[in-house]
Amino acid sequence: MFSFRGCSRWVAVSLTKQHHPSSRFSGDSAAPWTPRFDVVVIGGGHAGTEAAAAAARCGSRTLLLTHRVDTIGQMSCNPSFGGIGKGHLMREVDALDGLCSRICDQSGVHYKVLNRRKGPAVWGLRAQIDRKLYKQNMQKEILNTPLLTVQEGAAEDLILTEPEPEHTGKYRVSGVVLVDGSTVYAESVVLTTGTFLRGMIVIGLEMHPAGRLGDQPSIGLAQTLEKLGFVVGRLKTGTPPRIAKESINFSILNKRTPDNPSIPFSFINETVWIKPEDQLPCYLTHTNPQVDEIVLENLHLNCHVKETTKGPRYCPSIESKVLRFPNRLHQVWLEPEGMDSDLIYPQGLSVTLPAELQEKMITCIRGLEKAKMIQPGYGVQYDYLDPRQITPSLETHLVQRLFFAGQINGTTGYEEAAAQGVIAGINASLRVRHKPPFVISRTEGYIGVLIDDLTTLGTNEPYRMFTSRAEFRLSLRPDNADSRLTFRGYKEAGCVSQQRYERATWMKSSLEEGISVLKSIEFPSSKWKNLIPEASISIGKSLPLRALDVLKYEEVDIELLAKAVPEPLKKYTKCRELAERLKIEATYESVLLHQQQEIKEVQRDEALQLPKDLDYLTLRDVSLSHEVREKLHFSRPQTIGAASRIPGVTPAAIINLLRFVKTTQQRQAAMDRLPKTDQHLCNTDKLEGRQL
Amino acid sequence: MWRGLWTLVARAARGPRRPCTRQGSGAPAPASGATVFALSSGQGRCGIAVIRTSGPASGQALRSLTAPRDLPPARKACLRLLSDPRSGEPLDRALVLWFPGPQSFTGEDCAEFHVHGGPAVVSGVLQALGSVPGLRPAEAGEFTRRAFAHGKLSLTEVEGLADLIHAETEAQRRQALRQLDGELSHLCRGWAETLTKALAHVEAYIDFGEDDNLEEGVLDRADSEVRELEVALGAHLRDARRGQRLRSGAHVVVAGPPNAGKSSLVNLLSRKPVSIVSPEPGTTRDVLETPVDLGGFPALLSDTAGLREGVGPVEQEGVRRAQKSCNFLDTVVIPAGAGSPNGRSQRLLLVLNKSDLLPAGGPDPSADLPPHLLLSCLTGEGLDGLLEALRKELAALCGDPSTGPPLLTRARHQHHLQGCLDALGHYKQAKDLALATEALRVARGHLTRITGGGGTEEILDIIFQDFCVGK
Repeated sequence: MFSFRGCSRWVAVSLTKQHHPSSRFSGDSAAPWTPRFDVVVIGGGHAGTEAAAAAARCGSRTLLLTHRVDTIGQMSCNPSFGGIGKGHLMREVDALDGLCSRICDQSGVHYKVLNRRKGPAVWGLRAQIDRKLYKQNMQKEILNTPLLTVQEGAAEDLILTEPEPEHTGKYRVSGVVLVDGSTVYAESVVLTTGTFLRGMIVIGLEMHPAGRLGDQPSIGLAQTLEKLGFVVGRLKTGTPPRIAKESINFSILNKRTPDNPSIPFSFINETVWIKPEDQLPCYLTHTNPQVDEIVLENLHLNCHVKETTKGPRYCPSIESKVLRFPNRLHQVWLEPEGMDSDLIYPQGLSVTLPAELQEKMITCIRGLEKAKMIQPGYGVQYDYLDPRQITPSLETHLVQRLFFAGQINGTTGYEEAAAQGVIAGINASLRVRHKPPFVISRTEGYIGVLIDDLTTLGTNEPYRMFTSRAEFRLSLRPDNADSRLTFRGYKEAGCVSQQRYERATWMKSSLEEGISVLKSIEFPSSKWKNLIPEASISIGKSLPLRALDVLKYEEVDIELLAKAVPEPLKKYTKCRELAERLKIEATYESVLLHQQQEIKEVQRDEALQLPKDLDYLTLRDVSLSHEVREKLHFSRPQTIGAASRIPGVTPAAIINLLRFVKTTQQRQAAMDRLPKTDQHLCNTDKLEGRQL
Repeated sequence: MWRGLWTLVARAARGPRRPCTRQGSGAPAPASGATVFALSSGQGRCGIAVIRTSGPASGQALRSLTAPRDLPPARKACLRLLSDPRSGEPLDRALVLWFPGPQSFTGEDCAEFHVHGGPAVVSGVLQALGSVPGLRPAEAGEFTRRAFAHGKLSLTEVEGLADLIHAETEAQRRQALRQLDGELSHLCRGWAETLTKALAHVEAYIDFGEDDNLEEGVLDRADSEVRELEVALGAHLRDARRGQRLRSGAHVVVAGPPNAGKSSLVNLLSRKPVSIVSPEPGTTRDVLETPVDLGGFPALLSDTAGLREGVGPVEQEGVRRAQKSCNFLDTVVIPAGAGSPNGRSQRLLLVLNKSDLLPAGGPDPSADLPPHLLLSCLTGEGLDGLLEALRKELAALCGDPSTGPPLLTRARHQHHLQGCLDALGHYKQAKDLALATEALRVARGHLTRITGGGGTEEILDIIFQDFCVGK
């Protein structure tokens, strides 16, 4: 299996309840046997692992609490990571030194970049992942992370105390009660419960409580959250059946081979662990009218489809595909589950029919005539909490130091979960250290778009990332995630390793230098035409062309340019990534120049902070309609920029808020002339931290 | 921190929404450095109209319109000849004032043009300003917001600002609604719909094209839709020169058989002896033009030679020119001798002159005349009716400044339609699909500035409605 190193003690503790390292927690006011951590993360899925690792990277003593250690890093649905928009998120998680991209570079079995022909801003890094390898590698990583402890156990309740007066919120979380009655104290708690909050699995007309097939749901925790006053909603999702590999006739199906060379997910990897020729193929087949027939004839046996609970529009079950787009052939991708797995995942065949009908349906499909179903597809219905109840740092408005990440916030997808996990982990740690929150703006990353959409607009279907959601898509590219986020992560959060920081710094300065060199080389277009006859440079323009302009041509790359002008361009061909990124920068240069101004505009609006303790319902010196008050009260926008994006908040209301901010600032300025108590507090705390 | 405020509120004034619609790369940069202009005095006819600009390019705008001369001394009124920077065409003699920031109403560089208050002049100056790089029409209340952002308004004044913006956006909405009854709005909405759909399909191709089976030809369809849109917009922009007409005046031609009294009518309408009149046929032998004010509209009135087989070569040439000019003219007024109907079917008013010579019962009912007006140039009888009819015709042609969409809105429309068209041009050129889509987003941003709406959700809705996408 895998080594427990460092955490084995804790697994043991939870099982035997004897040993406790009380020496590490001297000065506890609580009972001496109660462990105490800076950050406790509940859940070991994609959000939980990222949150726990991020908090530990930031220097917080962190506990990861999970039902079962052996399900840490489990990919419960599709055996793949990345895709269009999702690949962007992974690059950003990686830029903050998150785990999933690095683990994917060690666990993939079929790497392919989607949208290759559509422009580098929308390239979608994607790979089929070996489930078993991913889990193993993730567990190895988690169990070897310094400051991170793993414990098996199910959280049942939260320990709440009086709120800190200087922050908003009705309560403050200070620990977790486990199902077995034991407690763990924590300065911050991150909840990443996935589909476990009152999770229900549905197959045909059968429904039974479960977070995932074979795992118990969390009911006590769901009740606690509801009792506290969180607005709870219900969502549904589904997963297809699994098919025995040897029972499929691949020879008659379309084969898709992986990219050569493979493009790694992580900035710090030059290559992935496996050679392209050793990777596994995927196969394509289609549904047919017989499948439609089976679905339509058995709708009465399918309560998941009938339910009113909202499912996603974009990852529909085969039932909703048939219902919404009848008489069409729908794609089914047959994806490998791993190197030595005998299972095939039929992507596109998510279904909740009774098991025997699922099997019947599968055997109607070309190539699957003799297929054996190993595990039926099923639907999951679960609670989520309206994400307008959390701040952009993912802390809840209601309970101080309580953070939510992943499906609990109404998202779907491993990458969306991981992205929130990193942010929640960083902020849980920063909160403990009394540092300002780490918030990514929607002008800085897809993570920002994701969280801003969730916290200002909420969602009523499982939220998935698309590139069309990002208004600054040309700036927020997979290639430049490091220059957008790594420096901030290093300086503000401390979640980035020195090695990554140095690499990002080198890349940044090389790019800047490269671009200025490319700008400085200027020839008449006719000379360029002679130098690079391959390029369709139009002659006759009187102005000289810069090398950067020539690089914009589709058929020109650094290699070609360096052949024409070896000095000083030759050196830029040596690093493949640098050469590629220079080409991309050239492609988008003119548009980005323009976009930069707009980005600044949005950022300025976001710099206008609204006071956090504003009680919109009773605020007296601001004239706001009741409707606007309720909306502001519920979403609690942190900046004027966020407030202006809330539907129904009128321009006049924004002006009134602005006026309010201005008066508050004046008051604040007056306060600043007094002794700075806040800073004082902060310093003491740092001191204590060091002593500990 | 407060410097960028106006941009935010400018956006807010257009309604809360996601910041995904935006100005185009094809249009002058509208961002923090944008300079705005607006008619600051009331709409319609008035003695003096004040047009203001605010922003860093104000000085540039002032120089562009007053030709190569230096900026006037700060805060001193100067008389200058304003001319269109593109055509050099003189617009008006006007008082101009130059307020360098920060000592100005908004705190930015400001310029004021006090021009003669006719719609033609105002429209001309606004269009001229719109052609200066870096200038765009102001949003509702934008001057006040800029003043606020630069600390030029006290907090108590700001309280009023919210109401003001509310009122202005309300007015804008009403204005938009009024306009949305019209043909232009109908067009714009149709275009915005087409464009949103095309954009949604291209976005779907980006986000789902690789993994899902979108039907063949999604992109080709979008391309052809964009092409059609481009043609329609181009045609509209070339054709919609109502403002232009207002500025230079609609052409009104008086044509008809010899000796019907065309010149008498011209003299009557222009209240001065433009043409020589005589009882002899063929007195006028060429086209004579005179600018007149007809019912509040500037018009160029043309007297023509009588349309007959001329006797002499000079008169024949005159007739040829008259016929040629009829082909280009906006309104043809045809005084005809009673009982001489004219069969042409363009925008025309049939005027039967010499009604004083008719018998008491009016013209012979058996003659089966088309709709017509009776007039006697000699007695002036029927002149009021003719003027009213002319006013209606011209209002339809030029847009009525007192009831129709204000000139400023029209300038805005043109600005955004042009921006949209430019962006569509970029779409065609871009080889990188992400860049091409960006151009479509920009184009849509321009259109939705006229029609409203424009969120990302709209696009996603179309995607999920039109395509079966998902794993």
